[in-house]
Amino acid sequence: MRLLLVEDEIDIQNFLRSSLQEAGYQVEAAADGKAAERLAIDGQYDILIVDLGLPDQDGISLILRLRQLGVRAPVLILSARRSVDDRVRGLEQGGDDYLTKPFALAELLARLRNLLKRNSPPGTEATRLRVLDLELDLLRREATRSGENLQLTPQEFVLLEYLCRNAGRVVTRSMILDKVWGMRIQPDTNVVDVHIYRLRGKVDGHGQQPLIRTLRGVGYVLKDR
Amino acid sequence: MSSKIASPNMHSAAWRISLWATLAFACGTMLVFVFLHNFVADDIQRRSDAWLSGEVEVLGDVAERTPKDALYDRVVGEVAELAGKEVPNKLPSESTSNDSVFFLQTGDDGSLKLWVGAGNGRPNLKAIQAIRIVPDHPTDLRVGGFDVPFRVASIRIDDGTNIYLGLSERDELRVLRSLRVRFFLIWLLLVLFGFGIVFFTTRRMLSHVREITEAASRIGHSDLNARVPTTERNDEVGHLARTLNRMLDRIETSIHQLHTITDSLAHDLRSPLTAIRGKLEMSLSAVDQAEQAEPIVSAIEELDRLTEFLNQSLDVAESKADALRLTRSEVDLDELLRIMIDLYEPSMSEKGLQIQLRSEDSIHIAADAALIHRMVANIFDNELKHLPAECKITMVLKEEGESIVLICEDNGPGFSEEVLPHLFERRVRGLESNGHGLGLAFIDAVARAHGGTVKAGNRPNGGARIEVMLPRTAREFAKASIAVRQGAD
Repeated sequence: MRLLLVEDEIDIQNFLRSSLQEAGYQVEAAADGKAAERLAIDGQYDILIVDLGLPDQDGISLILRLRQLGVRAPVLILSARRSVDDRVRGLEQGGDDYLTKPFALAELLARLRNLLKRNSPPGTEATRLRVLDLELDLLRREATRSGENLQLTPQEFVLLEYLCRNAGRVVTRSMILDKVWGMRIQPDTNVVDVHIYRLRGKVDGHGQQPLIRTLRGVGYVLKDR
Repeated sequence: MSSKIASPNMHSAAWRISLWATLAFACGTMLVFVFLHNFVADDIQRRSDAWLSGEVEVLGDVAERTPKDALYDRVVGEVAELAGKEVPNKLPSESTSNDSVFFLQTGDDGSLKLWVGAGNGRPNLKAIQAIRIVPDHPTDLRVGGFDVPFRVASIRIDDGTNIYLGLSERDELRVLRSLRVRFFLIWLLLVLFGFGIVFFTTRRMLSHVREITEAASRIGHSDLNARVPTTERNDEVGHLARTLNRMLDRIETSIHQLHTITDSLAHDLRSPLTAIRGKLEMSLSAVDQAEQAEPIVSAIEELDRLTEFLNQSLDVAESKADALRLTRSEVDLDELLRIMIDLYEPSMSEKGLQIQLRSEDSIHIAADAALIHRMVANIFDNELKHLPAECKITMVLKEEGESIVLICEDNGPGFSEEVLPHLFERRVRGLESNGHGLGLAFIDAVARAHGGTVKAGNRPNGGARIEVMLPRTAREFAKASIAVRQGAD
């Protein structure tokens, strides 16, 4: 996966570059709009990360310009602005996504994966999800572990489904709130944790191998190995 | 827009102004007429009095000089009749006999001696005897059988007889009456016409003012790009519109500056926060032992809290300046609350708290869903942090007229006395608790940005109560702002 990172803050560029490389992307970085344009024309990129506050131009105009030049790859917009511009929202409808700073690395990676998935031809939607001995029937909304029904509430099922779809990868609390409850909030209480504890009580009870792991300060991960 | 102005005519300033102006005009012209009428009436009377005095003197002269023989009655009678034909202001009368003038002579014993006029003269004599008529001073005389009074002048001649000459005031009154009728008709026309002119001009003028007011009130709620409609004319209303627009220019500039400041502040803080968070996460992934990870984890958590505090502070700052930017969409508050209660319920029951929602039906408003989410999360987070176990939280969602009211009540200890007067100030809870003290200030900010209000206090029988009122009119704002923009083009 070839990724073009357009970010003028060298600190952020550096840590993003190394984390993205660690996640398996081939990263090229540009610090301003001009350099980004040059790189985008020369190389074929699968995905772009563009910061809105560039020194020489507005990130939005850069994206529009790249689109004119024939760049079709999806763009993940990074924004330090508080309220997201209407224009960004317009782009978002066109298939792109945005993330406000500061963000959790896990969330950035998840959004990149989503954008790439959206752009690939749709496969047949699975009706069952399987992670080790955990199995989810998406049609009957039932989850079983080692063949035993877990008796989940509808809400718990949606939460577990989200964890399963991201099995082996870290999901943060705000990702869970966004995808499972549909809200971008940052509660300073343990609301998500309690839901995870309850789910864990049902999934990992009965002395089985614990599947749901807490990575403190980062989020949760459903083990797939 | 004109149809909207026409309906409340009776309460409009145009109506009041024209009513008062017309009243003043009508009273003024009426006063002028009364003055003129009296002047004319006096003049007519003065003329007829002069005629009467002159004629009665001539008649007295004739009566004195005419020998008292058989022809006396005839001679004096003829002279009197002749005089009666030269009456001033006389209008042609249908009756052949002259009933507008009478001549009467009494003997020295007071008996009727000579009579010229309509009838036999007895009622006239009776009326004359009832009042005292001073010679040379014409006096009003009411005679039985006649509708209108006579003006009577008298003279006493040397043979001891009295001569009375009476002139009916009928013609004089007729002239005055026709004058009054004509004046009244013209006056009525003038007043109605004047009222119409005043009403329509003031209404036209004030309709511009009303347009400006309506546009301005919409601008306050929707976007600051719109301007009030201006006219080409250089009158007070045009001046008002241009002044308002200039003021809006200035407000827009300062709001824009505020946005630039908060944006750059956010940017300047966010970029280093992003770098720090990224580095912390990277070092966390390199650490194996839990003890070493602990400080990094708590640093990340502190950082996230700081970020949320930054977001809320900027939101509160912008809402204090009425500059919080909203992205409105249709939100079902009932559904939103149910989802959020589902989210918070496990944490609450973990702490021994109960929560229940009283809401009858779905309630749709046009609001910024993300802000409403954060507002409700703030309320719930506060309850979670400050309520002792075994307490109960009741959420009530209801419609009250054009508003939607969201009430959050609990049966906990409530707000402490020292805090109560400063609930909506920033940083009230400050250092003493885990929270960053923006809670109610932020709730207030969100409500204000939606044009609503927040009331917070203690319930009479214990516990805290927060009441958020949001207007439902949000959808009309969207329409209104389009109308304003079209009007401004």
